Amino acid sequence: MFSRTQLRALAAGVTTLLSLASLLWQRHERPGRGRLLHTHGREHVMLDAAHTLNRGAGLLAFSVAADSAMEHYRGDFQNRAMYTPLVTSVLSLVISGQGQQDPRAGNNPLRNAVYVGTIGTGLAGTAFHLYNIGKRPGRLSWSNLFYAAPVGAPSALVLSGVLGYFSERLRGETQDFIPRIFGLPVGQSVGLMAAAGLLGTALEAGLLHFRGAFQNPAMYIPVSAPPLAAGLLVATVAAGPAYGRLRWLSRLVLRFTAVMGLAGAGFHALGIARNHGGWRNWRQNLQAGPPLPAPPSFTGLAFAGLAAHTLLEDGRELAP
Amino acid sequence: MSAELYLEALETPRARGGRAPDVFSPTGWVPMREYPLDEPVDFAIVGTGAGGGTLAAKLAEAGFSVVAFDAGAWWRPLSEFASDEEHQQKLFWTDERVCSGDNPLVLGTNNSGKAVGGSTVHYAMVSLRFRPEWFRSRSLLGYGVDWPIDWQDMWHYYREVEQVLGISGPVRYPWGPKRPRYPYRQHELNASALALARACEAQGIDWTSTPLATLSAPRDQAPPCVYRGFCVTGCSTNAKQSVLNTWLPRALKGGAEVRDLAMVGRIETGPDGLASGVHYHRDGSWHFQRARHVVVAGYAIETPRLLLNSACPRYPDGLANSSGLVGKNLMVHSNQAAWGLVDDEIRWYKGPPSLAISEHWNYCDDNKDFFGGYAFMSQGPLPAAWAETQVGNRGLWGQALVDEMEKYNHQVGLKIVGETLPQERNRVSLADERDAYGLPIARVSYSFCDNDLRLINHAMRFLRGGLEGIDAREIWSETEGTAHLMGTARMGDDPRTSVVNADCRSWDIRNLWICDGSVFPTSGGVNPSLTIQAIACRTADRIGDMARRGEL
Amino acid sequence: MSRRYPEYDVQSKRGGPSWNDVTRQIVDARLAIPREPRFLDATQWTILCALCACVVPQPQNRPEVPLAALIDARLLADHGDGYRDARLPPFRQAWRIGLAALDAEALDRHAEGFAGLSRTQQDELLADAQAGDLVHPAWQGMPSRLFFSLRLAHDIAAAYYRHPVAWNEVGFGGPAAPRGYVRLGANHRDAWEPAEARPGAESRARELNRHVR
Repeated sequence: MFSRTQLRALAAGVTTLLSLASLLWQRHERPGRGRLLHTHGREHVMLDAAHTLNRGAGLLAFSVAADSAMEHYRGDFQNRAMYTPLVTSVLSLVISGQGQQDPRAGNNPLRNAVYVGTIGTGLAGTAFHLYNIGKRPGRLSWSNLFYAAPVGAPSALVLSGVLGYFSERLRGETQDFIPRIFGLPVGQSVGLMAAAGLLGTALEAGLLHFRGAFQNPAMYIPVSAPPLAAGLLVATVAAGPAYGRLRWLSRLVLRFTAVMGLAGAGFHALGIARNHGGWRNWRQNLQAGPPLPAPPSFTGLAFAGLAAHTLLEDGRELAP
Repeated sequence: MSAELYLEALETPRARGGRAPDVFSPTGWVPMREYPLDEPVDFAIVGTGAGGGTLAAKLAEAGFSVVAFDAGAWWRPLSEFASDEEHQQKLFWTDERVCSGDNPLVLGTNNSGKAVGGSTVHYAMVSLRFRPEWFRSRSLLGYGVDWPIDWQDMWHYYREVEQVLGISGPVRYPWGPKRPRYPYRQHELNASALALARACEAQGIDWTSTPLATLSAPRDQAPPCVYRGFCVTGCSTNAKQSVLNTWLPRALKGGAEVRDLAMVGRIETGPDGLASGVHYHRDGSWHFQRARHVVVAGYAIETPRLLLNSACPRYPDGLANSSGLVGKNLMVHSNQAAWGLVDDEIRWYKGPPSLAISEHWNYCDDNKDFFGGYAFMSQGPLPAAWAETQVGNRGLWGQALVDEMEKYNHQVGLKIVGETLPQERNRVSLADERDAYGLPIARVSYSFCDNDLRLINHAMRFLRGGLEGIDAREIWSETEGTAHLMGTARMGDDPRTSVVNADCRSWDIRNLWICDGSVFPTSGGVNPSLTIQAIACRTADRIGDMARRGEL
Repeated sequence: MSRRYPEYDVQSKRGGPSWNDVTRQIVDARLAIPREPRFLDATQWTILCALCACVVPQPQNRPEVPLAALIDARLLADHGDGYRDARLPPFRQAWRIGLAALDAEALDRHAEGFAGLSRTQQDELLADAQAGDLVHPAWQGMPSRLFFSLRLAHDIAAAYYRHPVAWNEVGFGGPAAPRGYVRLGANHRDAWEPAEARPGAESRARELNRHVR
């Protein structure tokens, strides 16, 4: 259906388009959300960042809901526990939507509980997947890493919960100093968390794209852009307020990653079409082909990174 | 009328008028160059399977004029391959052959293809390298004969073939020298393969995903495997990487002509003693294609049959036969299995039949009471093939057969590909009976030797132990059974003890070449297709070198 | 109907993505095979029908798979295996001799043709053939053991298990292209595979099998 040359051209073209899109987005964004500080007061900044985190948490939850539904359907829901991530991620999705619409500051105990529950489910899921692999012949072998219960997948649920949990912490902050989460100023902790999430997700994409032998050169994009975005984000966090260009570049690559996550779903749709029988054979190929809902989790994490930027800007403005 | 459905390809040749069937399309065509009969082409190649098809592509790409002949039809898998054991018999060599000896061989569906692309159209895709020591089995291991080729040379060509076939293999192969990474990753294991894995772990030996010539991810026009399980009756998706959909499209692009439904009956030799071309039957009559070189690549029965059928006053014992070895040293692989019943639903009809393998006894020589080695693989026979095993090997019929067959979805099995020793008494000769073309048919005589039987006993004990280790019940051994064909025109360093040299060139007639499983001096304990293709690649490179040096 | 896979009918998938055109047509043709002999004469046909009933006994509660007609069609087309044991004559001849020889043995032993024997008598005679104990001149030197295992039982069993009704019985997923399978692990079935009736859960399997498409 596609020759290698056509695939190479496609990958190059899409990379260019994604870069242009992220540049455009960057230019049209209001320069520095920190400006809000002067007009609306700082609690709006916090709220704004909280909303962005809600959006990220929701996107990740959506990704997990769809992905776990499909993968666990593939596993025929043989164990009742396989419904748990579906339920929690849908709850997280709903609550994130609600949180994004909620104009009130102050944290909400229900949302908080759901997000904490989501984190717990994700951790339990990781343990469960590891236990499952341990039972299979070959234990931690490539075969099981490729095809047994994916070790990395439940972490997306943890990340969704953590993003939501952070958003609740932000809403709770009204005092006139830089709030802290886990002992770090909020911008930094959100930034590091987003970077870790991006790296972990890129690792999972790397594993699965290795399984697919990187047959399409575009499969290299999600294993290179997100780690770059993560690196720049960490550098931004570490460098402190002075480096404007670094911040600009970091935001740009995060935007690239966000757009890429959506384009990834398109690539996976194409991948499904390239399986035998294509979309007409959807009952098989939706399960056997590349997972349609997986790539947008990059978008969710990139949103978290962008939220971190907002908070870092804010931190700069507050700095003496 | 019903019998003729989807058999048009068997009725009239398709590759003509400057075009050949496009195997990647349900009805399409690709352009094909054609050569006149009366002008000699550089190479006339008889057979388009693992040997001939590979060679045709490589020689055409090297700039030689090539015409390849195949007695079989040129199928379009997407539109003409049914999911059906009965119908797909159309892929097999079902012309009569007579089998004798202590262990008369099962041919036909078992190991004999008759189609453009040869037996690779229905092979199980298991793509294994020889153990390096096997190329010097006489010197290093004390049995058989040494090959005239160095293992490192072969490993270079194995690499080439693995790339061309896009082999899906394990990231780390547990046995032998380190090998480069397979181009595609291993497949998911089915329940049958996982049973092998557990059996191996119970016995404390290594196992791995089988390197297979079927895709685990898309590649050009071919989709990844859909695990439909009809591999050995022909892949209808093109996920299987056979000669039909890899080497032959390259051959056509390189300018080769491939003639389907073209049965070569005799190789003509001129007054100078050299081959001058081939007589072939196509479209109801005999034709003669002139050629500067003739390559015989008909597999280990048709190759010696053609050489023997080409006897003439100058070569009364057949061509290339001054050693008297043409047709002799026929080798197969012992193909015994241990079967058992488990509580789990295995449903082995899903996926390629042999997704997991252990080559432990190919590489470990401890406490063996026999020479050689064997690999064993997980299994997944389709219902009719499974019924034939119950009838033929187990003697079941009547209600006992019906009851046993109902356990189909709970069966597991481990089957060997075991090395057999070359013996001169195992041979292909000509029978008195004649086929539809008026040519004497092949008589195939085969008997295991004591060493072969000791190997089988060892394997059966070991495999039964493995099945016991996973708590299988009703374990039984399939003691009949062979697979693959090799020998009958062995390569070597000495014209007195071999038919061709390391370059597959016959000692007697310097423009006559043999390039298929026939040239194997020993059989090794692995499926032969990868090695046949590697030898063909090497031969093509050597021919190119010799042509450049003016030694052709 | 299958006991293990109640209400599973592989043909319910005929219109779905598991069956492509070529498969639909060739299976249709197999199902539409003429029920009368076209190659064998009436006597041979009667013997063959009796033999088929012995080698693959079929339940009464469903239409019978026409095994004799399938063998007759194969004889008509002269579709051999592509090889034969040197001790056996060619395909058609082996069947002709074998049918006549079994009939001759029956007459010798019970003064009745093979088709006229009781089922027990038929089974006994076939067991002797399988053991190689039958040596009536009508065999013309063909070993009864080889005829039984390589032709008679082999061909009839293969014909039966190449028929969709037999696929229902053994729980075979049947034709599978373009759609293959996704769930490869033990105890996992795709929604388009037969469900096995585990003791106590027969109605669940029945329900699942009704929805196989």
